Order: sequence, then structure tokens, then C-alpha cells
Amino acid sequence: MKVTNQDVLQMARLSKLYIDESELDELTEAMSQIISFADTINAAASDNCDFDNINQLSNVLREDTVIPSYPREEILSNAESQDDGYFLVKKRS
Amino acid sequence: MIKGTIKTINELLSTKQLSCVELTQQYLDAIARHNDTLNAYVKVTPELALSSAKKIDEKIAAGIPLGPLAGVPMTLKDNISTKGIETTCCSKMLENYVPIYDATVWELLQNQGAVLLGKTNMDEFAMGSTCETSYFGGAKNPHNTGCVAGGSSGGGASAVGGNLAAFALGSDTGGSIRQPASFCGVVGFKPTYGSVSRYGLIAFASSFDQIGPITTTVEDAAMVFDAISLKDAHDSTSQGCDPTVPYLGDSLKGRTVGVIKEYFEGIGDDINDAVHKAIQVYRSLGAEVKEFSMPEIHYGLPVYYILACAEASSNLGRYDGIRYGYKVPHYNDINEMICRTRSEGFGEEVKHRILLGTYVLSAGYYDAFYKKAQSVRGKIVASFEEIFRSCDFIVAPTVPMTAFESGHKQQSATENYLTDICTVPVNIAGLPAISVPCGFDKGGMPIGLQIIGQRFDEATVLNAAYQYEAMTRENAFKVVEMGVRP
Amino acid sequence: MNYEIVCGLETHVELSTKTKIFCGCTTEFGGEQNTHCCPVCIGLPGTLPILNKQVVEFAVKAGLATHCEIAPISKMDRKNYCYPDLPKAYQISQFDMPLCKNGYVKLDNGRKIRINHIHIEEDAGKLVHQKGGTYVDYNRGGVPLIEIVSEPDIRSIEEAREYMEKLQSIMRYIGVSDCRMQEGSVRSDVNISLRPMGSEEYGTRTEIKNMNSYTFMERAMRYEIERQSDLLDSGKKVEQETLRYIVEEDRTESMRGKEDANDYRYFREPDLVTISVDKETVERLAAELPELPDAKMERYVSEIGLSETDAALLTKYRRIAEYFEAASDGVQNKKTVANCIIGQVFRRVETEAEKEAFAISIPPEYLRDLVLLLESGKIKNNLMKSTLEKMLDEGKPYTAFISESDMGGIDEETLKKLCSESIANSPNAVADYLGGKEKALKSLLGYVMKNSRGKADAKEAEACLKALIQENA
Repeated sequence: MKVTNQDVLQMARLSKLYIDESELDELTEAMSQIISFADTINAAASDNCDFDNINQLSNVLREDTVIPSYPREEILSNAESQDDGYFLVKKRS
Repeated sequence: MIKGTIKTINELLSTKQLSCVELTQQYLDAIARHNDTLNAYVKVTPELALSSAKKIDEKIAAGIPLGPLAGVPMTLKDNISTKGIETTCCSKMLENYVPIYDATVWELLQNQGAVLLGKTNMDEFAMGSTCETSYFGGAKNPHNTGCVAGGSSGGGASAVGGNLAAFALGSDTGGSIRQPASFCGVVGFKPTYGSVSRYGLIAFASSFDQIGPITTTVEDAAMVFDAISLKDAHDSTSQGCDPTVPYLGDSLKGRTVGVIKEYFEGIGDDINDAVHKAIQVYRSLGAEVKEFSMPEIHYGLPVYYILACAEASSNLGRYDGIRYGYKVPHYNDINEMICRTRSEGFGEEVKHRILLGTYVLSAGYYDAFYKKAQSVRGKIVASFEEIFRSCDFIVAPTVPMTAFESGHKQQSATENYLTDICTVPVNIAGLPAISVPCGFDKGGMPIGLQIIGQRFDEATVLNAAYQYEAMTRENAFKVVEMGVRP
Repeated sequence: MNYEIVCGLETHVELSTKTKIFCGCTTEFGGEQNTHCCPVCIGLPGTLPILNKQVVEFAVKAGLATHCEIAPISKMDRKNYCYPDLPKAYQISQFDMPLCKNGYVKLDNGRKIRINHIHIEEDAGKLVHQKGGTYVDYNRGGVPLIEIVSEPDIRSIEEAREYMEKLQSIMRYIGVSDCRMQEGSVRSDVNISLRPMGSEEYGTRTEIKNMNSYTFMERAMRYEIERQSDLLDSGKKVEQETLRYIVEEDRTESMRGKEDANDYRYFREPDLVTISVDKETVERLAAELPELPDAKMERYVSEIGLSETDAALLTKYRRIAEYFEAASDGVQNKKTVANCIIGQVFRRVETEAEKEAFAISIPPEYLRDLVLLLESGKIKNNLMKSTLEKMLDEGKPYTAFISESDMGGIDEETLKKLCSESIANSPNAVADYLGGKEKALKSLLGYVMKNSRGKADAKEAEACLKALIQENA
């Protein structure tokens, strides 16, 4: 399976990553290698996949009881920028 | 008594031969001396450690009965959230992130009086097998500081191996506890998926991640495991596990050891010899040895990389610079801010895995990769179940090689994935497995023996390791001459 | 050309649970920005979701009330997309195994609008663009929603509106949502396409996002239908796209750009476990459901004999129906109670919001006692009506306004006497009446009623007056 530069750029768009033009070919090559490697599972795969979840549990549920929220200072404490109790993204060039 | 173990520390503290503050200070001094070399710790918390130690001393003085972990100096991998203490995942992305809540495991350990010395080094977001993808540089191997500690929990293994902590908690997604434990000549235990709460563990691959102990002895691993394996209301997938310490020492007579031949393909000669000697030890303990074949093992790595990267690509989407973590200083709009923050904040390996994970989940490729990998995961789960119908536990090498030199340049994108080949099947199936020291290669680097059990049968795994350790401790284990061994 | 409208709705309804879907933070509306938040709902690294049981039960109830099958096994999935209002960069939703499937809502014209499925998911936070920056508030993040996805069975703007109204009414009745549109707790994405009348094939559809008012939905649909039919008439093609409705300009606009980035990379949410709803749970929840508006209406018409219009008025809001039923408990002729409510009580609750809340000054028992008094023959209809007005004014039972001596009618002789007096006192009115002015009788009647202190039966008094006038004429 061949990964193209276009594929890599599309994945980067979806992942919100920028890719440097100069690295693109090398990255595509690396992705191709990994994808070819991943593709080896074809030999073992079956269509009727009944495997669903590793934990095999069901109905772990919480009662609808209010727990006090965190103080806003703590909620915002790791934000690089905040204003008036909001998380803030303000244009800076 | 083996020096530097939890049991020895309990004894010293309870008989007042040593105060907890003195003990803690010894460790802090040792860290100050050796951490420049080992780079095991990325953050040391001396004030917290000494104040916790002081509280323990007060309790001892007051005659308050204490649990086995009280006053024991330890460390946490830097992806385990600690309220008020930086938790960075060794990424530029989270360099200054200070959690506002505690991971459940840390809460449990605090309640038992464990003394936190600091946070340990790891591959960035636990993605790697050498610890060298860490934003802070890799941890070094205490047996040869020119070699890697392994990864991703390299810092924890290096700290315990270098006697800079009595025990460490690591996390194991594809071998990240067992592999560095094997490299550093210590015990590393990955519990059943669901035995230990993941709440507060910064996610890499949610259906694989599991927290577990890195210790000097198997008994220590069992003690720490028993302290953290509780069902947690904050983690829907956690179920807890029954205590294992009471089972240590149970006879292995009449038990069956499984050996899966595919685990031995392409492994180093020294390792092959060491593991086969270990199998002989089990025979001598009265266990029967049975051979199996499990061809699906060959698909372990691709299945693991497809599924773990898929989950990682989703788990790492949240780092957008808005609520926490790195944010680029200059940008024109939100989208540019997010893209540049992520491009600058994540290291190469992390970005590769995000791209790969995005690829295998995306519209055109989901069926060809993600869905197929799930089906093979199902097969691997079923194969293990089948094998466990006719054996009690499986022994295998932990890693096909021993620790290699730092800075080793991989030949291809997939080459360094091979170090995980013996460890990933266990994560794929959610099984418990331990790595216990089982000798040395010609260069004197430690080799690990992996023991694998059935889901939630950690007692059998730990007991099998305990029995092996009791028979081989003198030859299979070497104390590194550094750090603290009270 | 004449086109048929083919329309389907994806309706998001906010559930009225006390807490968010995956954490214990309150869902209360309002509240200072970022004060209803915790590590889980702002997506701090390492946090994990725990599903709120009430969300599952409310969604099952919504499914039962819309005739859906309840899936015995379902699961949660991650819908991945990166947007600042989505703190984890994925929304936990249900992709291919929703809780409820294959239901319908019946319109008044008898047509069934089929429901493909109902699934549960979490709401996103809110972005405020102001002062040259983007301000983010996560109070709404993690509030539970159900998404009700209809089949493309709707054929007109009116049907779309009625379907939405019915859905809202049902959700309110069963108590799973307040459906407050102004708070954004109900909003629909409208899928719309046209096809030549009589054609069986579907045309290309467009999707108008986030309609949270009936008026705007109708306007947007009207605009979009016109736009599509213009395109088709001129031989052009409708492009499949996502649109937003711009209220100020009354037109739709493409949200292009958003579209091609929408590869949601769904996969099972590994942090949550399977949801299983067993038969017993479904039965228990079904038993908890109140009688639904359609069924109630039918019963009011067939058992009580109300007109469809009256039945519709009394069943539109659950509280009115409950009031009516409590007030008519034990009453022989329940129509009397219906008339009191529709004729008199409704005058005091004019807006829809007031009708919905139906906060009436007297409890239904007071009204029932008054009607029972009428049925016992102790008072007449007109006294009942005037007393009800006073009761509603002051919030007191009838005993505050009617004494024992007011009760019981008056005998024939007294009635005849009062009627004669009335005629004697108002020769002009008599003349008018004889001259053909029917209304003139009212003033004669007024005298009788007043002087009998309301005890006279108005119909009997009228008959008596007419007879006396005829006699004297």
C-alpha cells in the first residue's frame, strides 16, 4: 500500500499539524513503510469481527447527583490566556 | 532480607533504626548525586517528600499502626497526574502543566503514606521504547550508563535499578513497564487491563494503557499492586483485583507452564538460553511444561500500532493550547494557533503516531486497517484463552534483546518497534504479565523473563515470578553500586 | 414545475438531568462562565467519563414515547473533530449502535413521520467572539443531548413545524426535557430536497444547520425550497452541502470549508463500557411513562365526549391535562369541568408559556368541589360561574363566597313573583321585546337573577318571563 504526499497532507489537516515542505517526502516514505508493515495483518484478518471491547463490562453508570464544580480559578489555572472568567484566544502577530 | 526493599524499609522504620525523614533524605541525597548521570527524574519534590516523611515519623512516634507502604520513598512516571506538581508527559506540550486533581493511584498511595520523591522520565507521551523521545533527554541504564534505560517508563526503571527510589509506578501500553524493567534488571509488573484505575493517567492508548509497579523484588511488586488495585468510581473500565500477597509461596507442583514457540523467533542467543534455563527452574519446582504455537503473535506488532495509534490520535487531539499546555506566542487566527501549537509542542515520534492513527481511522482506510486490526485483536484474545485452557501461566522472553547504546540510529521507521514484539501481545489481550530478572548477556546487561497469566489472575503470575526469583535471585540479579540500599 | 418537498429533521433535544452526561457538574442554565466545570468536562489530560444513568433512562423513555425499539445492547463512540468548543477534540456520541431505533411520530393528518433512530451524546461548550478575541465557556460542555433523526418523510413546511411541535410536546410530557427553544435546548438540522411531483427518486439534498425557532425554520425552509426549485427549473443542479440560515438577510449560505474537513473518524469510545438495557428496565420505564397527548386526546373525545378542539386544548400541556383530570375526578359530567377550564381559567393564562406552567391560584380540588356542588343541584350554573371567578381572583374555595342560605333553588311561586315584578318595573323593555328585540329580555332576566341572589335558574327564569309577557300581551 502506497501512501502519497497528498494522503499525508490530508492527515495533517485532520490532525491539525503543519508539515514542513522539506520534510514531506521523507515523512511520506516513513508513513509508507509503517503502513506497509501494518498492512501485513491482512493475512490474518477475518471479515466477521465480533471483537468489540477489551473490558467486557456493561452498565457502569453514575447516579444523577450533583457534585460541586471546581473553583473557576482552578479551571482556568493552566490557561495561557484568560479574561473575565473565559479561556481566551486573541490574535497576536 | 534483601536490602532496599519495601519490607526492609518497613522493618527499619517500625523498629526505629532509621527515621522516615533520615531515610527520605538519604534518597534525596542519592538523587542529587546520581540523577545527572541517570536522568531518571525529571522533577524532584524534596519539600513534599520531607514533609510527608515527617508526618510518618509522627505517626510512628504516636504508635499509630501503619500500612506496608507508609514511609516508603517512591516515584511516579510523569504521565500520572499529581495535583500541584508538574505532570509533563516529558513533552514540550505539557512542560508547565500543573494538574488540579490527583490520579486515583496517587491518591491511594498518599492515603497509605507513601513518600513521593519526584516524577520520572519517560518517552514523550509514553511513545517509544528507549526513553529517548523524552523532551528532557532519555534516562540512562544504571547497569551501563552508556545504554538506554528502555521505555517508555525508562525513568522509573532507572530510578529503581539505580536505587534512587524503593519503587516506581509506570504505565504499560505495549511493554512500557516490562521492557525497561528487563533492560534495567528490575521487576516490572503490568496488571490485567481493568485491575488498576487509569483515572489521572494521561492517555496514550486507552484500551491498552495500564498502570503498574516497578520494584526490586516480586514481593514488593505484589505489595504495591495490592495497594493500587481497587475498583474506582472514576474509571468505568476498572474492576479492581483481589489481594495477591497471600498467594506468594504457593507450590507450583502440578501446575502447567505454557511455552509459545513464536515468542522465541529471532531473539538473541543469550536471551534464548536464559529463558530456557528459567523453564528448567519451573520443571525443578514440579511444574509441567507444555509447548504451544500461536501464529497470531506475528500480527501483534501491526495490530498494536494500528489500534494504539488510532486511539492516540484521538486522545492527543485535545492539546490545542487553549485550556492548558504549550501555546505559540504569535498567530493570526485560532486555527493557525492550534496547528502551530501542536506542530511545535509535539515531538517527531508523537506526530508520526498521530498521523498514522488518523490515517487508519480515516474514511477510506478504516475498513482496511482499523476494522481488520480489531478482528485480529479478537483472534489474539481468543488464542490466549484457548492456550490458558491447558496451562496456568506462560513464560517468554520480555524483550528479544538487552539494553543497547544510547543514540542508536534506527535503520527504518519500524525497526525500533521490534523491541516491543514480545510485550505487545499481552496488551492486545489485556492480560497481566511481569518481567523478572533472569540473568545477563555476555556484556553483563540484564535479561528479563516474562510471565503471562489469565485475566485477573495476577496472583498466579506474581507467585510464579516469586518462586522463580526465590530459586535464582543470587545469579539472576545484580545490585548496582549506587544510590540507597537501606 | 411542481415539486414535492422531501424533508427530514435531525433534532437535538437537551435532557433535563440534574448533572452532565459524564460528570457530576450541574446542567443548570445560566451561571457565570466556566463555573459549572470540572477536570472531566474541560477534558483535562487523564480524566475519564462516567455515564449518567438518568441519561440512558431518559433516552429510553423518549424512544418508548415515539414508538421506537429499544436496543438491548448499545455503545458509545468518539466523533473526532477539532474545534475550540469541544474540549477533548472528540464528541462522545453514538454512531452505529444507537439506543433507540425505528419509531414514528403521528401527525394530525394521520401521516406517520418515521424516526430512524435516537442516540445520546454530549453538548459542546460556547464560543463568544468579542473584543477581537475568542472567549470560551465550557458550562454547556457535557450537557446531555438526544439526537432524534427522522426519515425523509416530511412533505411540507407545515408538517415540519407540526412534527417539531409534537416532538417537543412528547418530550415535555414524559419529563425528559423542558424543550426551551430560547435557551437552545431544542434545535434541528433540516435536510431538504425537491423532486418532481409523482417521482419516487430522491433529489440532491442540502442541510440547514441549527434551527432553534419555528419562525426561522419556516423561513429558512421557504427560502431553500425556492432556491432549489429555481435551480431545478433552470436546469441546474442542487449541490449537496451544509447551509447556515442568516436571519438578518433571510437567506441560506453555504458552510463550505467545514464540509471537506468532516472526516469524523468514528471509533468505539474505549473509556466507556457497553450499555445494556434489559426487558425489565424497558418495562419499568414504560410503566413510568404518563399517558401521551395523542392517547389522552383520543380518550377525552371518546370517553368524556369532548370535541376534538377542546380535547386538543386540554392535552397540549401536561399540567393542564393533569389539572383537568384532578378537577374532574368523581365528577359526573366532566365536560362541565372542561368548560370551566377552557372558558374561564384559560382567560387567566394567555401566553403559551403561562399555559405550559399552568400556575393557577386554586388547586384542582377547589374547582372539583364547586362542580360537585352544581351536580348536587344546590347551585345553578350561573352562580357556579360567578363564584369561580371570585375563587380565581382570591385563591379561595367556594365556601368563602357561597353560604348555606345561598344554596338550593327558589320555588316556582317566588320565581313567578320576581318575574312579574321585573315586567312591571320595565315596561319599555317589555315593549322592546315585543317589538322584536330579543336582547331586551336580558335586562328583565338580570333583575330576576339579582333579586334571587343568583339562585334562580336562568333558563327557567327566561321561560317564565316569556310566558308572562305573552299572557299580558
